[in-house]
Amino acid sequence: MTTARRTRTAGSPSRRVRRRITGSVVAAGFLGLAGCAGTAGAGATTSIDYWLWESLQLPGYQKCAEAFERENPDIEVRITQYGWGDYWQKLSAGLVAGAGPDVFTDHLTKYPEFVSRDVLLPLDSLEATKDIDESGFQEGLLDLWTGTDGKRYGMPKDFDTIALFYDNRMLEEAGMTAADLEGLEWNPEDGGTFEQAIAHLSVDANGVRGDEPGFDPANVVTYGLASGGSGGGGHGQTQWSWLAGATGWEYTNADVWGTEYNYDDPRVQASLEWLFGLVDKGFMPSFERVGTAPNPQQQLGSGQAALSPDGSWTIASYGRLEGVDLGIASVPAGPIGHPVSMYNGLGDSISAQTDTPEEAARFVAFLGTDECQTIIGEEGVVFPARPAGTEAAIEAFKEKRGVDVSPFTDLVENNYTVLFPVTTHGAEILSILNPVMDGLYIGNEDVSSLTQVNERINRLIAE
Amino acid sequence: MTQLDGPSTIAAPVATDPDGGERTRPTGARTGRKVGVGRIVAWAVMGILLLITIFPFYWMLRTALSSNGALYANSSSLLPADFSWGGFQRVFGLQSVDEAIEQGGSGAKIDFWRYLVNSAIVATVITVFQVFFSALAAYAFARLRWRGRDLVFGVFLLSLMVPVIFTLLPNFLLVKQLGLIDTLLGIILPSMFMAPFAIFFLRQFFLNVPLEVEEAALVDGASKVRVFFNLIIPMSAAPIATISILTYMTAWNDYFWPLMVSYTDDSRVLTVALGSFRAQSPQGGPDWAGLMAATLIAALPMILLFAVFAKRIVNSIGFSGIK
Amino acid sequence: MAVTTRSEARRAPARPPGGAGGRQRRPDDTRLALLFILPAVIGLLLFYFWPLVRGIWLSFTSWDLLSPERFVGFANYERMFADPVFWNAIWVTLEYVVLNIGIQTIVALAIALLMQRLTRSTLVRGLILAPYLVSNVVAALVFFWILDFQLGIGNQILEWIGLDRIGFFTTEEWAIPTIALVNVWRHMGYTALLIFAGLQAIPQNLYEVARVDGASEVRQFTGITLPLLRPILGLVLIISVIGSFQVFDTVSVTTSGGPVNASRVLQVYIYENAFAQFNFGYASALSVAMLAILVVVTFFQYRITRAGQTDLN
Repeated sequence: MTTARRTRTAGSPSRRVRRRITGSVVAAGFLGLAGCAGTAGAGATTSIDYWLWESLQLPGYQKCAEAFERENPDIEVRITQYGWGDYWQKLSAGLVAGAGPDVFTDHLTKYPEFVSRDVLLPLDSLEATKDIDESGFQEGLLDLWTGTDGKRYGMPKDFDTIALFYDNRMLEEAGMTAADLEGLEWNPEDGGTFEQAIAHLSVDANGVRGDEPGFDPANVVTYGLASGGSGGGGHGQTQWSWLAGATGWEYTNADVWGTEYNYDDPRVQASLEWLFGLVDKGFMPSFERVGTAPNPQQQLGSGQAALSPDGSWTIASYGRLEGVDLGIASVPAGPIGHPVSMYNGLGDSISAQTDTPEEAARFVAFLGTDECQTIIGEEGVVFPARPAGTEAAIEAFKEKRGVDVSPFTDLVENNYTVLFPVTTHGAEILSILNPVMDGLYIGNEDVSSLTQVNERINRLIAE
Repeated sequence: MTQLDGPSTIAAPVATDPDGGERTRPTGARTGRKVGVGRIVAWAVMGILLLITIFPFYWMLRTALSSNGALYANSSSLLPADFSWGGFQRVFGLQSVDEAIEQGGSGAKIDFWRYLVNSAIVATVITVFQVFFSALAAYAFARLRWRGRDLVFGVFLLSLMVPVIFTLLPNFLLVKQLGLIDTLLGIILPSMFMAPFAIFFLRQFFLNVPLEVEEAALVDGASKVRVFFNLIIPMSAAPIATISILTYMTAWNDYFWPLMVSYTDDSRVLTVALGSFRAQSPQGGPDWAGLMAATLIAALPMILLFAVFAKRIVNSIGFSGIK
Repeated sequence: MAVTTRSEARRAPARPPGGAGGRQRRPDDTRLALLFILPAVIGLLLFYFWPLVRGIWLSFTSWDLLSPERFVGFANYERMFADPVFWNAIWVTLEYVVLNIGIQTIVALAIALLMQRLTRSTLVRGLILAPYLVSNVVAALVFFWILDFQLGIGNQILEWIGLDRIGFFTTEEWAIPTIALVNVWRHMGYTALLIFAGLQAIPQNLYEVARVDGASEVRQFTGITLPLLRPILGLVLIISVIGSFQVFDTVSVTTSGGPVNASRVLQVYIYENAFAQFNFGYASALSVAMLAILVVVTFFQYRITRAGQTDLN
């Protein structure tokens, strides 16, 4: 039949069949390989899987792992890094399927949930990590990782605080020097000398500065203060923890494992009102400009903002901004007479599903030694939790980035800190706070709405 | 409603014309200027659409050739900001860890060619099997007669709506129980049996294959199986090619499932590896230059594939081949 | 043409495929059909059906991924109906779907028609399909950059034209429309290609006949193209709507559901509950709700477009 013949030449069923056969062969090949994949190194060494998310720290931890392996030749450490966005899902899926890591970097917002579900092994139950000396770490860090039962669930890794980044050239243009940014004072009513500095650094499209007459808040080219967003996703760690904290306000009714939040306190509400009020004055970008994922580094780098409050883990990124002569200043002193910053610390936890708890503990113990933490410090990325490591980091920052990081570390030395809130339902609380904070920033809501939100949050914890 | 008025119409030879559009042009010429203006407008619209389609790619190229530190300062120029090959170097794993970090990259080790091969294998195997099995099923729904056919079809339609979070963990558990974690087969397995969409798509085209042709073949003594392989498939070359390309692209670009299944380089595919160019920490930004370079490079194999198979899609052999 | 064979075949009354009025002569294809659908059914059962059943079961439990699930009856559903964020999510998602699918279908149809009439060039075809080469996430990131309020070239162009800058991802009114448009950009070529394949299936001689009869372009479109495109168009719409309802990547990368809750589509809310807050049981209930909506919507779509039938045979 004409049709059939024509289509047989026009089409190519034989090609299709050939492709199918090739495909089957390839698949069969992989079926074969499937059996022997993944089970490497079944020798005398035990393997430990260690996961972390901060890619910048990967080289440092590689070196740490190598040092550990030299001292412990019977253990092999495999480090895997997954970006923050994927990290927790991969971890959860891994835990559900029993395919998770032995040791992993843990975060304060997640670890309470892990503890209450017996996902983590208490370090005290393992030989190598039985007696952790609290004084070996920067003050308060080990408390963060101690559960309500008094057991330790994480080995302190590093700490971070907040300070102000700025561009020296912008200061020059404003006729200011670095010294002018020292000893600034702030209060929620009139903003103090801090607001004056911010105002002076704000420039509108006509070149008029924020503290000069004729300043047009609707047409600003450079904002005095960069925006990190509303802070609802992280309790305002970089955005306003240093403002509210400087009024003497505390997040919860206890250092760790509080049962009530204090968002109904007038001090935090006044601080937020002041901060978001800067938008109308033209001293800080509006929500419209920066959105839900603002990038303060971008703002500083493009000249959009003059002062950027940010965390110590971003020092390296700021250092890389081209055309910026980087300087770091301390956050301003508040009504209580000195500056305050939020103080957060990551920790390394051991999964309860591990087959090799003692070996995992040996690695975790090593991660908490001066040796390892000095290696990490020398990378110049974060401040390790042990003082020796912190010193190494300070040196490295000076050498590699040419910056003096004392505004970050002085706060810790002087104990001018407020701890990141550790409570149950951490993630849920943030998901409630976030839209409300966004609303405050946009201007749709009044700070008094925080009082109701606070009640909701406290009810959640009480459940 | 059909305007067919008899077999002769169907059989009327519309030549296998790769440029079937020609047929319409004489009409255009006949009505002269009116369609001329229409044609200009049409081209203008097409032009705008093409511009909107392509401009982001230009932006990607421009960003890929910039250096990360300068991007924020020169955000609106159309040329790369501080021209640099760094992005591409990082994609191919040609930079040392320190260099990469200096330029704003993540310093993760990238074994580019291996990931490329992995991706190719995964996408190819998935496409071959998925399209074939789906075609089988589509034929069963379109042309074979059996009890419960429409009901089962409805069930397949339902599967298209199964929420994503339902399938992730059970599939992951199953793959683990089969011992296929960190293998390419583990990545391939859930997708290789069928895709609801492919079944529907092909079913629609199989439905449109003229019954007469098929019946003639059956009367000639061919079995249904032979009809399928030697008649339906060749006549549906265009839709099959189309769905193959689309399946390949979907499989190539899949990120989340391969991320879940792979733990080491053994089974890492390109998209997962290139995930290292995205923001690694909560407040960090992506490695823009590297990410854009990675995206462009990752798209190249598919562009090549498309170029090779484009003829299949251009030629409407399938249906105008009915003589 | 083998006329005899043809007329013999033509003795059978023309009927819709698979319809009633069966010819008793034809043997039942059940055994063959089972063989043909076997692989697909294996895939269906293992990777779709079992997860679906398990998911529905989980919606009646409280499960935090890390400890065994607890049966809680209808508690999740009660919570869901009282949850304002859930209703907001439904509303926002609907808004997104209508915008996305509406614009995407029209644009894709236009592209497909233009491709058919103007040019068979492979290059044009390739360019149109190009956005689909880019992953969802990267497309979102690129547009996030291009449409940035301060630094994006998009707003620069607006300024040059003399319009005000727009906070595309940062204002509540624009968040969803912007995300919808980004996805239109990404999918229009793909959809156009599908529709194009359908256009190819329409015999050209129908147009010839119509033209000879003096029908205008518009009449040809409404009288021939649209009706014969219906099965494919119906299918494309169904698939697009289902996919559109489940939008996630674009939102999570650009607005994370903000500002406030303006773009917190259902899938984003589900993910937050499932993986960030360890409320997998509740997330499952939300997913069942999404499933129910999709079933209803698809059912009506299928009926209205009669996508199951073709007018060609």
